[in-house]
Amino acid sequence: MIIAIKKFGTTLVSRPSGKEAWLAFQPILKDVSDTEEVVVDFSDVLVLAPSWADEFLTPLRSRFNDKVKLINTDNASVKATLAIL
Amino acid sequence: MPNSLVSIGNTAKQLGVSIDTLRRWDTANRLPSIRSGSGGHRFYRQEDIDLFLRNESALAKQWAMASTGVPPSNDVYCQTRDVFQARLESLQHTLQGKVPESAVSLLSAVAGEIGNNSFDHNLGNWPDVTGIYFSYDLRNRNIVLADRGQGILTTLKRVRPELTTAGEALKVAFTETISGRLPEARGNGLKFVRSVIIENPFTLMFQSGDARLFLKENDKDIVVTQVEEYIRGCMAVIGFEN
Repeated sequence: MIIAIKKFGTTLVSRPSGKEAWLAFQPILKDVSDTEEVVVDFSDVLVLAPSWADEFLTPLRSRFNDKVKLINTDNASVKATLAIL
Repeated sequence: MPNSLVSIGNTAKQLGVSIDTLRRWDTANRLPSIRSGSGGHRFYRQEDIDLFLRNESALAKQWAMASTGVPPSNDVYCQTRDVFQARLESLQHTLQGKVPESAVSLLSAVAGEIGNNSFDHNLGNWPDVTGIYFSYDLRNRNIVLADRGQGILTTLKRVRPELTTAGEALKVAFTETISGRLPEARGNGLKFVRSVIIENPFTLMFQSGDARLFLKENDKDIVVTQVEEYIRGCMAVIGFEN
């Protein structure tokens, strides 16, 4: 499956909004098998900070491990956040 | 001309710049004038001059250091995260075209991280004024954030009881992955701030309690100095180049 991060917003900085995104996405994720590839698409995201990413990407990675693939990570803040997460 | 308008000569004097500079700033929309009279002479509103002269970091420091807490003026006050989020997006729009796209993105992420940290660590526990002071000053090229929260030492002491000074706490906050919100496993926000500042043409002044640090591009170490001015909460000034 593909998760378009921009659908959660384009300025993603706070923990509460990251946590809300994760919770809101659960009904969709529950139907994804643990062996399916999960592609996370960062296109059109303008600002990403570690607080938001930690609430969404960290649990996503703990559930799907190496099945998580990150694409379109060229934005400077996306790169910097992924480097520290 | 209405009484409230100031001539270009007087404006130049107040701002300490030449009339030619004011004409350039007008063309560049940095300090727009009001055209008045048949000759189309430039005039300026005194309130625009005052706003231009205002030193954002001095105002924020004054607010953060005041012994009695009162909410700051509406244009810089973010009582909740929602207000902060909206103003952060407005900062992005303001910076667009004035600094490279990557800088807009990184500066917003750094400001977002610092501002949200204030909310994360003081939610339900603000000693007096709820929320943060957030402003930016394109003339001096800086972004200012301040809170009247509990400060880094009080926050980190909950998980590191051995910490005794604001200086030690500030160093830990910028160098170790540690969360003041035990049992939650998190706490790399200020490490992110540090890595972005030292890898870009940015600067950061960060103070909490009587401890202050200053970071700039290519800095390897965290040097914390003890200062006389005391800020119970936190204050940050992020600087950026053209």
